[in-house]
Amino acid sequence: MVVISELEHAAQLFPYFLKVLGLGALSTVGLTVASFAVALLLGFVLALMRLSRRVWLRSLASLYLELFRNVPILTQLFILYFGLTHLGLTLPATVAAIIGFGLNGAAILCEVFRSAINNVDRGQAEAASAIGMTRRMALRIIVLPQAIKVALPGMANFAISLLKDTSLASAAAVPELAFKARMLVSETYQTNLIYLMVAVIYLILSLVLARMGHRAESRLRGGH
Amino acid sequence: MTYYELWQACREELLAAAWSTLQLALGALAIGLAVGLLVALLRMSRARHVRRLATAYVELFRGTPALVQLFILYFGLTAVGIEFSSFQAAMIGLGLNASAYLSEVYRAGIEAVPKGQYEAAQTIGMTRFKTMRWVVLPQAIRVVLAPIGNVAISLLKDTSVASLIATPDLMLRAQDLSSVYFMPLETYLIVGAMYFVLCFPLSLAVRMLERKTSR
Repeated sequence: MVVISELEHAAQLFPYFLKVLGLGALSTVGLTVASFAVALLLGFVLALMRLSRRVWLRSLASLYLELFRNVPILTQLFILYFGLTHLGLTLPATVAAIIGFGLNGAAILCEVFRSAINNVDRGQAEAASAIGMTRRMALRIIVLPQAIKVALPGMANFAISLLKDTSLASAAAVPELAFKARMLVSETYQTNLIYLMVAVIYLILSLVLARMGHRAESRLRGGH
Repeated sequence: MTYYELWQACREELLAAAWSTLQLALGALAIGLAVGLLVALLRMSRARHVRRLATAYVELFRGTPALVQLFILYFGLTAVGIEFSSFQAAMIGLGLNASAYLSEVYRAGIEAVPKGQYEAAQTIGMTRFKTMRWVVLPQAIRVVLAPIGNVAISLLKDTSVASLIATPDLMLRAQDLSSVYFMPLETYLIVGAMYFVLCFPLSLAVRMLERKTSR
């Protein structure tokens, strides 16, 4: 009898959970997209720095990579959060998280871009400079369009791990999916139902991302 | 209070916490290596539903955040009466999480062994198990060493997530200490540096291995 009434109770709460978690999922998606944009931009700049002919630019980029890749993202988020407060900047937690995930992701995407650019046959760049293109022109017109195809799987993988990592922002009270789940759990004690729903939502989101990656890949390949 | 004074005050506690972080990472890695090998072998089974089940396992663990996995394992199982300490829950959770990634690493390594090797082993009358044990796995190990190193590094960093289920690791200690001394930025910078000291040599070692195997 007790079990039945508990199940009934959970069933009654289900629509409410779905609504709250759905909103949380939306902000998780927003957080992921915004952080991806920051990482994309900064990662590209870092990749160019690592391929630069100037030693100090290369070393600066390497230092950045080592620092961001050898410290947990959670620690980075806390350093950024308290660092900004220390500087007198009280940004909303969501903005701080976007900056944090963006800075961290840049280090990952930089390596994806760099290996993709290195993957393009050297002869291509040489041929471009033989017909009088500058280094910048060759990179933009010849090398990058070919490199993007190689970079896509790495970018898709990064997007999926970013999506999952955004759950860590719950520690800084960013109102995304994992945070909403923790609130719901402390409100209703339906621990298993809520976390299982959250797991399913994350799973669906990552499968959608993986699918988008595959589609973009086959489109680029088909257009060639 | 300067950084040095803060370090002097917290050193013992932070070093002890770093030790539990290391223990957590090593325990999880051991679980991940064992379960991952099992899953990789199951994914190559001749029975289709076994393959499917193993694939679902990998997708499930790779498609959801480690944090949510830890929540389910720790709070979820506690709610139905199965008790873990947070340290045990974290070790098992992070280990199972790593096993999904490691199974892919193993699979790639096993697939990198030329087909002729299997055929030759079968020809001289080895069973499937013996072929795996004596011919394929020893060759696959060389290919998988660097990728395993990479998983170990992310695992070491991911142990910080366990602080969110109150596992007494480096990150949780940092949280405690910053509420004792009210110097959160300085505390987290010190802890960040400690993680760096743990991870950076590993990163260098993996890169050296990668260079060796790609040659």
